[in-house]
Amino acid sequence: MFERFTTEARQVVVDAQHEARRMHHGFIGTEHLLLSLLGQQTPSSAVFARYGLTKDDVAHAVLGYLRNGDLDAEALTALGIDLDAVRTTVEATFGAGALDRPPGQREVSGHIPFTPRAKKVLELSLREALALKSKSIADGHIALGLLREGEGLAMKVIHDRGIDAADLRRDLTAALAA
Amino acid sequence: MTDTTQVASAASSKDPTVGLKAVRSLRVLVERLENLQVRNAREQGWTWEQIAQLLGVTRQAVHKKYASGRGPLRRKD
Repeated sequence: MFERFTTEARQVVVDAQHEARRMHHGFIGTEHLLLSLLGQQTPSSAVFARYGLTKDDVAHAVLGYLRNGDLDAEALTALGIDLDAVRTTVEATFGAGALDRPPGQREVSGHIPFTPRAKKVLELSLREALALKSKSIADGHIALGLLREGEGLAMKVIHDRGIDAADLRRDLTAALAA
Repeated sequence: MTDTTQVASAASSKDPTVGLKAVRSLRVLVERLENLQVRNAREQGWTWEQIAQLLGVTRQAVHKKYASGRGPLRRKD
């Protein structure tokens, strides 16, 4: 299906892999696709920017969602352990997010697979392109696919910021038509 | 999080929920720290034997835990 992707859309896929690698994630999820979309210089990324979605903010939010898990800062406080202090120390040595990576996802090398949801997003981008009578799949269609799929971490970021997905969809569609 | 009053009241709590949650989080914290340290040691060329000795476990134990199959802690080429 990638043969119908525009240069920008291909770049989104490639960059999503970089985002996943940078975050030491052993998979490419919707959050990495969103981060990648935000990093492009296209009409679609401009729409995201208008909604206040920036790469840094989204990356921060994503790490925030992933960090907690079973590490309960409040519970550790009961023992007099300041998790933030531990985190700061560990990150000084091992890099950002080191303490919050689920074990087993340390070394990310070689091929990083898409999560089923991210794969679905890419499939839906084709459908979005067809629905808009576009011969090629642009990064904006991937963005629409993301919204169409409707779940996953990317959508959680969007929802948590109080962004109306319907409004975003409308503006992204308009940007594609321009 | 550095609220000392809060620390004091939580530490003195007899509520098992508080104590057990703390233990669980501590265990997770230990596991993550161990993971980072073992990985770092391996990257610096340490043997499983050396790592195990400092961790106070057998070589087999640390090897089994961190080097199974295509594990994440295999040394890079």
